[in-house]
Amino acid sequence: MELQILWAALVTYVLAGSLAIFGFVMKRKPERTVLLLLVLGVLLHTTSIAMRWERMGHGPYITMFEALSSGIWNLMLIYTLIYWRIPAIRATAAVVMPILFVMMGWMMLFPPGEIGHKPQVYHTVWLYIHIGFAKAFISTVFIAVGISGIILLRKIRYGAERFAHLPNDTRLDDLSFRFMAVAMIFQTLMLITGAIWAQDAWGRYWDWDPLETWAFITWIFVIFSLHLRHTYKTSPQIGALLVIGVFITAFLVFFGIPFVSTNFHQGVGGA
Amino acid sequence: MSDFPPSSITSPSLAVRCLRALASLKLTLILIILLLAGVLIIYYTKTRFIWALALPFIGFAINLTATVLTNPVFRRQLALLVFHLALIGIALLIAVERLTYLKGQVEVVEGETFTGQMLREESGPWHPRRLDKLQLTNENFTVNYTNSDGILRRVDTRNQVAWVSPNGVAGRSIIGDQEPLLLGGYRFYTTINKGFAPVFSWRPADGSAERVGAVHLPSYPRMHLQQQNEWQPPGSATSVWVMLQIDEEILSPDAPSQLRVPDKHKVIVRLDKARWELKPGDSIRLPDGVLVYQELRKWMGYDVTYNFTLPWLLAASILAVLSMAWHFWQKFMARPWNPTGNPNEK
Ligand code: HEM
Repeated sequence: MELQILWAALVTYVLAGSLAIFGFVMKRKPERTVLLLLVLGVLLHTTSIAMRWERMGHGPYITMFEALSSGIWNLMLIYTLIYWRIPAIRATAAVVMPILFVMMGWMMLFPPGEIGHKPQVYHTVWLYIHIGFAKAFISTVFIAVGISGIILLRKIRYGAERFAHLPNDTRLDDLSFRFMAVAMIFQTLMLITGAIWAQDAWGRYWDWDPLETWAFITWIFVIFSLHLRHTYKTSPQIGALLVIGVFITAFLVFFGIPFVSTNFHQGVGGA
Repeated sequence: MSDFPPSSITSPSLAVRCLRALASLKLTLILIILLLAGVLIIYYTKTRFIWALALPFIGFAINLTATVLTNPVFRRQLALLVFHLALIGIALLIAVERLTYLKGQVEVVEGETFTGQMLREESGPWHPRRLDKLQLTNENFTVNYTNSDGILRRVDTRNQVAWVSPNGVAGRSIIGDQEPLLLGGYRFYTTINKGFAPVFSWRPADGSAERVGAVHLPSYPRMHLQQQNEWQPPGSATSVWVMLQIDEEILSPDAPSQLRVPDKHKVIVRLDKARWELKPGDSIRLPDGVLVYQELRKWMGYDVTYNFTLPWLLAASILAVLSMAWHFWQKFMARPWNPTGNPNEK
């Protein structure tokens, strides 16, 4: 049942994304319908995750399938909220939805998994706070990626024509880096709460495990981008490339590292 | 009208020029790249080569000080200044931590008291050693297990301890998993490292006083197939092999269970070709004394850490986040979030 609801949610997202892409190609703005579909998709998805949580007794962070599902969920949740509140970013739907399609396809390659156990160190409220900030971080960068995509697409005529009604590149660049600034705050909070959790769980707040190290490297990348943009007054296009670079790094850290090593962080688990 | 000679206006003194160079924001970018390099060095060489991080941070401190002195931006933007200072504060605290920390491990048998001898440890050069002034008695502990998918999984660890702090205060606590014992600035964490310990008494042949000792067998259940260890009774010159043979099921493959000392077990002692199977109370004669097997207990491995900077580090980090949020708040409230397509809009 929960899986059927999940498929329904995914189909709704695909409809919303296709409609947005259709609008982009046809130079239409079906924004209200897209918003409705997004809200519906998020509601269905939330229901499915909640049902699975209830049944399994743990949140969606054990198997790769769960991690991707909850990753898609938080990207969509924050994206939908911003889509609703900040109409200036609505045109980004045609840029970001394809990224989600890729994630959905990737998720379907994995079995949902029925692992019913979570390690002892997961029994703490810091887990939820830490993961919450991590999700807020990547979702906020995701919106900046959408704006950056527009800036870059405008370099070709096809895109320039279709995005002509939007504010100029400088304004978009400013908006995109606002989201980067907010993302950086979430990311810093993620690092701090992660350190608190690690101190609680393993008696050390930092140990250079792969995930810690790469999360920190991503953070350095973010401050580098903010400083570079400030010091050299970089063009909107360079800014856009930096944002996309940060997103790719963050994405690999999120969905790559925890699943190539056997545990999310070293030290978790063991009898 | 200026009283200064014209030359000092057109070409500032060397010191001022140096300061301006040090305040360059391009230098900041280089330092950020150096920080990245430092992180990669630490990560890939697996060394604790702290200079790799210390150098960029010393650079940041100089760069930032010079910027505060010469660049009005920080005087205009207080929140941004507080943020950067908090960052330097964090770096300083980490440096202090590296100079004063202690990290180590110790194993204590149930009923035994730890009085400062660590199994392994490393510490900073300025560590204020107080470990020998405290006492920690491992009274008893339980570890619960469940089973899912046929795999044994540890649930929770609870350890009852009695302690005496360096200034003589005594007390008892229950610790385990996320809850360490904080004693005299040291944190004692239980670990997954725990096992069985046959306890022996040793009566030396030369008539000197009887002594008691315990063999720490390898971690259980992780090394359940290798429950043996070489051991020298306290004060003896003879080294024997001690093996534990467990004749019942302790951790169940299909029901929740608890780590406990097995009722049915044998302790096997070997010396060269000789081999003895012992039950509690049995004794054997070795070349330089008599060894009496008393009972089987459990030992717990503890991680011990000392780091007094923790609350300050947390405070500095929170200050950093709050001031950064404050900076961006001021910056973004000045202009709307929803730019329109109007080209005249600033
Ligand atoms: C110590 C060397 C550093 C100096 C001299 C320095 C200097 C500056 C300056 C002058 C600004 C521009 C303020 C403005 O006009 O808006 C700035 C912004 C900023 N710096 Fe640094 N910085 C340093 C290191 C760092 C580091 C290590 C971080 C790491 C978190 C960092 C994070 C930021 C952030 C987040 C901003 C805000 C950017 C924005 O408003 O868009 N800085 N810094």
